[in-house]
Order: sequence, then C-alpha cells, then structure tokens
Amino acid sequence: MSKKLPDKYGKFGEFGGIFAPETLMPPLEELERKYRIISKQKNFKKELAYLLTEYAGRPTPLYLAENFSRLIGCRVYLKREDLAFTGAHKINNTLGQVLLAKKMGKSRIIAETGAGQHGVATATAAALMKMKCYIYMGETDCERQKLNVYRMRLLGSEVITVRSGSKTLKDAINEAMRDWISNFSNTHYVIGSVVGPHPYPEIVRNFQSVIGKESKRQLFKKEKRLPDYLVACVGGGSNSIGLFHPFYNNPAVKFIGVEAGGLGINTTKHSATLTKGSKGMLHGNFSYVLQDKYGQITPTYSVAAGLDYPGVGPEHSFYKETGRAEYVYATDDDALKGFHVLSETEGIIPALESAHAIGWLLKNKKRFKKGEVIIVCLSGRGDKDVTEVAHIENVF
Amino acid sequence: MNRIDEKFAELKGKGEKALIAYFTAGLPSVNGTIEIVKGAEKSGVDIVELGVPFSDPIADGPIIQDASFRALEAGMNVDKVFDICKALKRSVKLPYLLMTYYNPVYKYGCVKFARRCAETGISGIIIPDLPFEESRDIRKILKKHGTILVSFLTPFTPLKRAKRILKDAEGFVYFITSAGVTGPRKSFSSEMAKKLKEIRTMTGIPVSAGFGISSAVQIEQICDNVDGVIIGSFFVKKIIEGKIEQLWADIKELKMPLLGKRNYLR
Repeated sequence: MSKKLPDKYGKFGEFGGIFAPETLMPPLEELERKYRIISKQKNFKKELAYLLTEYAGRPTPLYLAENFSRLIGCRVYLKREDLAFTGAHKINNTLGQVLLAKKMGKSRIIAETGAGQHGVATATAAALMKMKCYIYMGETDCERQKLNVYRMRLLGSEVITVRSGSKTLKDAINEAMRDWISNFSNTHYVIGSVVGPHPYPEIVRNFQSVIGKESKRQLFKKEKRLPDYLVACVGGGSNSIGLFHPFYNNPAVKFIGVEAGGLGINTTKHSATLTKGSKGMLHGNFSYVLQDKYGQITPTYSVAAGLDYPGVGPEHSFYKETGRAEYVYATDDDALKGFHVLSETEGIIPALESAHAIGWLLKNKKRFKKGEVIIVCLSGRGDKDVTEVAHIENVF
Repeated sequence: MNRIDEKFAELKGKGEKALIAYFTAGLPSVNGTIEIVKGAEKSGVDIVELGVPFSDPIADGPIIQDASFRALEAGMNVDKVFDICKALKRSVKLPYLLMTYYNPVYKYGCVKFARRCAETGISGIIIPDLPFEESRDIRKILKKHGTILVSFLTPFTPLKRAKRILKDAEGFVYFITSAGVTGPRKSFSSEMAKKLKEIRTMTGIPVSAGFGISSAVQIEQICDNVDGVIIGSFFVKKIIEGKIEQLWADIKELKMPLLGKRNYLR
C-alpha cells in the first residue's frame, strides 16, 4: 500500500497517464517539473498556508451534527467545506494552482466551469494575485447560472461562452484545452477537478488533501480515534479524493463515494460514471467514462450541476478496481430529501452536490451501527441552489 | 511495402511532394464521402486521411468540430467508416488512412480495429491524442496487420524526445506546424522552419506538415523542407458549405506548388 501513487508515468494502476496531443507534452512536462520544485519550497508552502488560513478561512470546522446523527443512528461529523471562502472546497485548489502559476512565471489563467463554482473560485484567486483570467463555460450552463457568470465578471474575469458539442462542462473543458494547446507559453490552465492528463489529477488531489488532513487531526482531537467511514459525493471527484487520500494507508477507514443517480441509473439521465460506465479516455486520461458502444462520450444529467460530468478522476477508478473504495449513487430525489433534512435538522443548507452524500446516508442508515463514526464532506453550501430547488418544487 | 511508402517513393521519383487531404468520414453522407475521395484523387490528391468523428475532439478547431458533430448527428460510427473504406478499396488507387481519437479505437478493441483496417485497405492510422509513450502496444498490433501508426512531432518537441519518436516512426512523420488546434492560420514562425530542417536531417522517413495550411503561398514557404503537406479544415469547410466544384479547383491549385520546380514551371 505504500507504493507511490501515481507512479512516474502518472498512472494509478492502469488508470490515469497522459492521452493528449503531442503539442501538450512539453507544457505538461514543464508543469510537472516545476510543480515538483515549487511545491517543496518553503516560501511557497508558507504563502499558501497563509492564504488558506487568512483568506480562505481554514481550517474549516469538523462539526458533530448531533440532530442528524440521531436520524442515522451513529456519530456523523460534517467537514464544513461550505464554510470555506466562496462557499465550497474549490478555493483550496485554485489558490494553490494560481499561486503555482505565478511562481512558474505565467501571466494568464484559464479555467473551465460547469455550474460556475470552480470558475468563481478561479476568478477569485486570479483577482487576488493580479492575473488575467478567462473562464470557459458552456452556453447551456451560462443560461442556467447567470448569477455566477456575473460574479466572475465582477471579479475581473472574462467569461467565454462555449457553443460546441453539448454546450456544458465537458465542452468547456475541451475548449479550455484548445486554448492551452495554443497559448501554453504564457498560460496556466487551472483544471477544477482531479481529472485531465497527468500531472493534474495528482496536483489537484494534493491541494485538496487539506480536507482529509484537517479532518484526521480534528477527529483525533475529539474522538482519539480514526473514523469508520468517509462519505463524499463524486462528480469529477476532487472533494472526495481530498477527504479520502490522507486516509489511504489506514485500511480500517472505509471510503464511500456517492455518484449522481439522476432520474435513475437505468435511464440515460444520470452521471454515475463508476457505477454504470466503462473504461476509456476522456480529457487526457484513462479512467471510467460514460460512452456508447462506439466510444462516443454520452450526455449526462444530474440535478446537481457540479456532478454532471461523463468522466471521473483516475484515482477513483483505481480505488474502485482495487476495492479500496465503494461507489454508490443517490438519485435526484434522494439528494433533494438530503437537502431538506439537513436544512431542517441542522440549519445547514447543503449544496445539491453534497446533498447526494446526505441523501444516500439517510437511505442507507441501516448499514451503520451505534458507536460508529462517519465523516461526511459537506463540500459546498446550498445558497446557489435555493432558487433551483424552489423552482423544481413549484414554490415560485 | 506499405502503400504509403510506395506513394512517397513514386512521388520522389517524379520530383513531387504529396498533397494529403483530410475529409471527415460521413460528411455529408456515407456515399458523399466516397464520391469526394474519388473526386479528390482525380483532382490531384495523393493520400487521403479520413477523420473518424468523435464527440470530444480536443485537437481540432471549430471547422472540424462542426464537421464531426454533423457526421455524428447523421448517424456516423466506426463500422460505417469501415464500410466507406471497403467501398474505397474497389474504387480508388490512392492510399488512405484513418485519423481517429484513441477512445473509439480502444472501445472497438485494438485487435478488432486493426483487423478491420487490413480488411478494408486502410494503410495507416493517425491518433492525435495517443502520445509516443502509450503507443507501443497498438503499434505492434497494427504492424501485424500491415497497417502503420503515424507519429507526431511539433516545433516544441525537445531534440531528445524527437529522436525517440523518430526511432519508431513509419510511413511519414506528421509535423504539426504551430501550437494550437487544426484550422487556418495566416503565417508560420521562423522557428518552425528551422525545426523542420533539423528533423529532416534526423530521419529518412518522409515528413509531412499539417495544421493551419490553407494557401498556395503557405505551401511555397515550406515546400522545400517537407515531403508532403496535410490540408484539412480548408477543404472540410468547402464540403460543409456544399461547394464541391470549388473543392476540386482548390485541390488543383494547392497541388501546383507541390509538383516540383521542374514540373511547376513547365
């Protein structure tokens, strides 16, 4: 278990690696080489720690949700990433990557975004560090998330509407990659999840690992023990890997990743890549993907825009294949139930993404015994989803 | 001898350079593609690349993206691409290759894909998102079936890496003229020409340049340093617009500077 992951080829077992055009090989090599040097430098670590503490509000609390725990029948702790600045865990990665880009001497930042959370977090970090920033966003998502488009513009970023393909997240990634292929000499591409070609899955994981490291320390202080379960939602998989990874060498700690079951995994309207997908290449790495029999990537759906992605981080595929983690799903309805229950029992409105983890726990509480300890990653806050839920439920 | 090797040898004997044309398979239709390849051969194209449409073509610019999208909408798939090639085997003499992203090949099964390539007369395949490091296994499988795998180089490929890539290269080397995706550009950088010269001293395999080429003037600029040029978006745009007569005229015009000084002036 102590073998280094990923290996020097960027592989997690058979997954990951680089499946990208030859033009991208030099910038990927440059990124890996400079990341290895810069991320070990004392002043980089110090600056990033300062930003995470003073600017992003870390450490986020590990909160024992007593009312919710009573419903589940064991002790459930919430890792409050919803309290990180900009309202989600995304800021952990963007502060790290934009700072890295600056140290690499890049002057221009690009990023993709689905619902806009990663876009806002990137725009925020870019504004802080005085970098020019361009955010690619699918036309469909721009219409659904007008407010986030405006937030990014307020922060000084330019939002570029993507009109190709399905006009959603995956097409925004394609377009950002095309930009990077054309402009890598002065541009850093801030990928928002543990996806993309090596070294991205490793870099994003390492910046997000602050979630798991803090949780481990905080729980030990409160309980003098390790948790029995870690539960987190999985779209691309950055909040879940961030929580899971620091516990990788603690085999007694079980990992549960909750995917978006949408309208049901036997329909075509879901995003449950690990549950229903098969092996393939998307956006530069080898992992599980949702595809048809000819290898065309299929459209996905979820009520939670942040989970609406036909791929998944290669490290998750490795965890699935080796049995290190279990991957389950929650449907839209399960997630909406989680959304309401957590709001009512704890006064915490969770993001619809995080509500998948909550909803799955509610549905599967019989699995857990009294005395067990669960940490759930509450990856984001639900303010962004209130209008959407009200609309779904015909409130107004 | 592979038909691509034969073609380059034949052209060299005549003092010519290759005009390699990219067409999206299934655009405007299965039969339409077959007719376009036949017409292209008559107009002067030496080698054809048939693009297998893919849902997420990260190396392609807006024109080929649009073409892929249209072809997929019209029901194109890998089996139908092989149907097109089967028909071409009987109706054209020029060598043809497939240009495809890796996922459709992987999903189809590399061995089955290689077998179908051999059956349908496909001389080689080009996979833009399969770097050298990952290409060893599929190259071996294709070789067994007499199909070559084209290697890529760019102006930014470090010398050491270029040497390793060239060691495995077969058929021709696909030299990407500039950073970025497919689609027309105005001019080339001076580093590009330098790199091209350098590469040609390193290998005996023909070098063909692609990405961003759309005019006879551009071809004249690089003609002396290459064995062939690859033109995609410029032709595909004509097909999308339904300007097929114009396509034949463009092919004739762009082949001119490739005919070699002797032939060109005659």
